[in-house]
Amino acid sequence: MTLTTEPTAPARESVKAPRGYLVVGRAVAVPMRRASVLAFAGLLVLLLAAAVATLTWGRLGLDPADLPAALLGDAQGKDRFVFNRLRGPRLTVAIGVGAALGLSGALFQSVTRNPLGSPDVIGLSAGAGAGAAICALMFPGTIPVALGALIGAVAAMALVYVSTGTGFRNPARLVIAGIGVAAMGAALTQYVVYALERDKASVLTAYVNGSLTARSWSDATTIWLVLLAVAPLTALISRRLDIGEMGDDISEGLGAEPKKAKTLAVILAIALSAAAVSVSGPIAFIALTAPQIARRLTRGSGPHLLLSALTGGLLLVAADLCAQQLPLFDDLPVGIYTMAIGGAYLGHLLVREWRRGVL
Amino acid sequence: MATTTVAPPSGTGTSRSGAARPAFLLLMTVAAVVALAVALGASVMFGSRSTSFGEVLDVLGGSADANVTAIVESRYPRTVLGVLAGLCLAVAGTLMQGVSRNPLAEPGLLGINAGASASTVAATAWLGASGATDTMLWALPGALIAGVLVHVIGSAGTGTSVVRLVLAGAVLTAVLMAFIQAVTLSKPQVFDSYRYWVVGALGGRDFDVFWSVLPFAAVGLLLALALGPGLNALALGDATAVALGSNPARTRGGGLLAATLLSAAATAAVGPIAFVGLAVPHVVRALVGVDFRVQLLFSALLGPTLLLLADVIGRTVMRPSELMVGVVTAFIGAPALLIAVRRMRGTT
Repeated sequence: MTLTTEPTAPARESVKAPRGYLVVGRAVAVPMRRASVLAFAGLLVLLLAAAVATLTWGRLGLDPADLPAALLGDAQGKDRFVFNRLRGPRLTVAIGVGAALGLSGALFQSVTRNPLGSPDVIGLSAGAGAGAAICALMFPGTIPVALGALIGAVAAMALVYVSTGTGFRNPARLVIAGIGVAAMGAALTQYVVYALERDKASVLTAYVNGSLTARSWSDATTIWLVLLAVAPLTALISRRLDIGEMGDDISEGLGAEPKKAKTLAVILAIALSAAAVSVSGPIAFIALTAPQIARRLTRGSGPHLLLSALTGGLLLVAADLCAQQLPLFDDLPVGIYTMAIGGAYLGHLLVREWRRGVL
Repeated sequence: MATTTVAPPSGTGTSRSGAARPAFLLLMTVAAVVALAVALGASVMFGSRSTSFGEVLDVLGGSADANVTAIVESRYPRTVLGVLAGLCLAVAGTLMQGVSRNPLAEPGLLGINAGASASTVAATAWLGASGATDTMLWALPGALIAGVLVHVIGSAGTGTSVVRLVLAGAVLTAVLMAFIQAVTLSKPQVFDSYRYWVVGALGGRDFDVFWSVLPFAAVGLLLALALGPGLNALALGDATAVALGSNPARTRGGGLLAATLLSAAATAAVGPIAFVGLAVPHVVRALVGVDFRVQLLFSALLGPTLLLLADVIGRTVMRPSELMVGVVTAFIGAPALLIAVRRMRGTT
């Protein structure tokens, strides 16, 4: 029974400087790998395609010919309503929340050097659900449900952190502690869902699973403001986190100040997850899978912050497209799709790692 | 690189060979039976209106007034169901921990409860299944498929580890939960009955449920009792087990089958209740040592005790309303799991 805490990226034999640099003037050289640029372009194209599909598909969809007009803000009649009140905000929120979750997951996984060190595993969703549920039951209408979700999420993460005794480092302990905390959260949530009247219970269940229905421009503003505030800071610590993945001693020697960078990264990651939860409820598995997919696209080391954010956005928009257009079930919360698809992907990932003898 | 090992449980009152002394065992058995009797008494005495022990005796003797009789008798079904479910879960947990040699094996953590729930919900939504017998029949295949799947996923690659199985169980549970939520959210009438059942509760059910699941539980229990010696041999490793004339593959298959029957019975009867199957075997090992024949007996005694006491706590903490037993076991069991995590040794 062996457990390792190395990140799942195939370790490079030697630490070479990346080949390509984008050089700006004499002092700035931004590392750019070709694989990363290709991945970035590919993801962007896919995201655009998914976005266009979101706006144009279905009974209420806009006519593709009218899209440019709508984007410039002079859509008419039905299109105006659909674009401004229904799908526009929903799409913007989906991209923002997905990006926030992907980025948050990438930061967490980089800091914990552990593919499972993601908000999903460390109790964020369960805590957020329980917090939201308690708010809905105890203080209906006085405390916003989103605030309850935030408090619950942070409390659950703190509980997992404390109860492992080793912080977020050890995957085995993390998983088990996370399951324990999640079980308590789920028990609370289920009890409240039972105790409320049926209609309220349905609404709460949708929120607890993570939902993008009936989002407004103000939700979009919230999530994008947080993203914009956090982005420059993550850019600053990205390089240090990359070095930090070599282990604390080496990065100390390289002057990367790993402790400072890690602390900041965790704070940013929690802020991002919290913002995502407050806007859409806890959407499962995006934070866990997006960084993994980003890693596999480029086969490089490092935290892949930008790519993870982009992947997260794409995943959530795609899942939301399913939620809106699949005739299977009527208007399910998007979180149920991400839970099913993300869970299946996680299973596949685990089996692959285990075949290679990792974890 | 680090290895995770869990300390072999050593019982008090066990000799160096790990076999318990007969006198000590007898004493422990008496203590366990007394504890169960106390739990049974508490289960019919306490609730939103408590009755005294004397009143319960009057009811049993038939000399109590009609009101008190009605109150006490209304607690019979949940008490009986508590005994059955607690026994099933605890014995299933002991079997699973023995078969997989994994101290964290448990029907809830390994996805068996989720499998039973998912197929029950599907049958209720699309095939109009209702009533305890129907539910039971649908819970079985789901539980079995989930159990096998988790073992297949968890044993991919080289060797199984404690965490792998649990992780595989968690992944499968997540996917099944997504399915369950999808069905219940899109069918309000299913959602209504589901949201009570999913928490795990002993109240609000009658003896019909008990009679429907009893045959399955009985078969599972008999199978379990027959597996004791095989499990003891298996604990020494496959090669040794073969040398002792035991058949490890048969023991594993039988153990998984029995555990599935028992978990499905418990889940169909009272909903998916976690942690009873995890906690009881650990307590039992600490008390009476590692002989599975003894472990199975004590699990069967302590499981009902734990579940009934949890139910009594749930009935009395929030009077006049009730906390369902599933909430109480989660809040007793999860901290126990967290403490167990802290004691895992040899981890970085």
